[in-house]
Amino acid sequence: MNVIEKPMTEYLFSLYGTPMRYTTASPLLAAPVNELLRHFRRDSLEESGSLTLCFRAVQERADIPLTISSSARQLSAGTGAAVGDRPETGLPHEVIQDGRRLIADFHDAGVLVIDSVEGRADGYLIKPETLHPNLIEYLFHLGLIELLRRRGLYTIHATALEKHGRGVLISGNSGRGKTTSFISLLRSGYRYLSDDHPLIRDAGTHVEVLPFPIKINVTEATIAFFPELRNAPDHVLHPGSPKRSFHAEDLYLTSVGDCCQPAMVLFPHIVDAPHSHLELLPKSRALEVLLPQALLVYDPEVARREFQVLARLVQQVDCYRLHFGRDILDLPKLITPLLEQKRG
Amino acid sequence: MADPQQATPPSIASEHAVDRTMLARSILRPSPDVQGTSMEGETVLLDLSTGRYYTLNRLGSVIWEHCTGHSTISDIHAVLCDRFEVASERALDDLVALVNQLVQEGLLQQEGR
Repeated sequence: MNVIEKPMTEYLFSLYGTPMRYTTASPLLAAPVNELLRHFRRDSLEESGSLTLCFRAVQERADIPLTISSSARQLSAGTGAAVGDRPETGLPHEVIQDGRRLIADFHDAGVLVIDSVEGRADGYLIKPETLHPNLIEYLFHLGLIELLRRRGLYTIHATALEKHGRGVLISGNSGRGKTTSFISLLRSGYRYLSDDHPLIRDAGTHVEVLPFPIKINVTEATIAFFPELRNAPDHVLHPGSPKRSFHAEDLYLTSVGDCCQPAMVLFPHIVDAPHSHLELLPKSRALEVLLPQALLVYDPEVARREFQVLARLVQQVDCYRLHFGRDILDLPKLITPLLEQKRG
Repeated sequence: MADPQQATPPSIASEHAVDRTMLARSILRPSPDVQGTSMEGETVLLDLSTGRYYTLNRLGSVIWEHCTGHSTISDIHAVLCDRFEVASERALDDLVALVNQLVQEGLLQQEGR
């Protein structure tokens, strides 16, 4: 075994009452995680029962100390992202259930071994200096959300905002106007919850959405719609390919929103029309559209609970198909009055 | 029934098919792997063993609601005739077709009384 043995550094985080320890010896594996979880960093942890994630750098695949039993079964395989749809994470992968371990094998990039019962995920990344930081962040996030699901915190592939205590989720695959509609609301004074994966949990009387603030990734096409993005200097809108990124607070007079009750879920798609309009979706149809943006059935009992939370979420909100026209900057005029009605 | 992950309905294997001579003795119950939720008269089902999900329309939802391990297919047929403006034979055909499909998909289990 040739795992590079260097002193491990421990980073502490707390996510809504769930403490988490991340250990790695590699600065290359530390930086993307600390960026992803910068709002959740702690100097010490008071809560017990922390989750543990540990990422190690290896030089080649043979260095990964992985054993798979003969009773293991493949749950899924593919070339797309296992969660989300960022192009830089569209790697070939397979997911294997081996006893209580979930093994996400990303072949030449590395392997993630998740033991949800133990509350532990181990990542082995092959030559991390050759990997895109977004891929490292993605693999870490994959392990984290699988562990959080068992603690009743679920993620959903959506952007999320808050205004006056009411949440708006915008869900859907890339290229359908999700980030563009999100920025249109953000710049009008909505508060920021998450660009790609807010958390949701059952709060007893209702389902709530929790901020998971991360940098906002934008394509050149999205940038072109907004003058402040077009004119932003490189130290605000960081260069990158295929997407550039910025922090919401660096560009807008906004702050991170509070945990709140979602009131509206939008499913945008771009239409060649001068004006945007909304089409109310039947709730069963909305749940059907939302399920693939959230639910991957790995642990049936966890999936059962997550399904119930998603169903409750859909029951408590209004769900709309957003036919997103060319009046991009005017979207708040369409959305805000409906949100205000929900307050009443 | 709509299945977003499977556009082509499966063929119905004969060993799963409802025996029309046994309608008064066939009890239906959901598979333990199925989680369902009712929304505005429709039902969304998730098969936890496969990750597939399904939507049942209003008629399908009434049928599903009565597949609790207590009602026979004849009982459910009587409910449909009572609740919907539909000819008895048509209701039975629709019922048997849906039950066959749900059994075939592993969502429903059929047992004798």
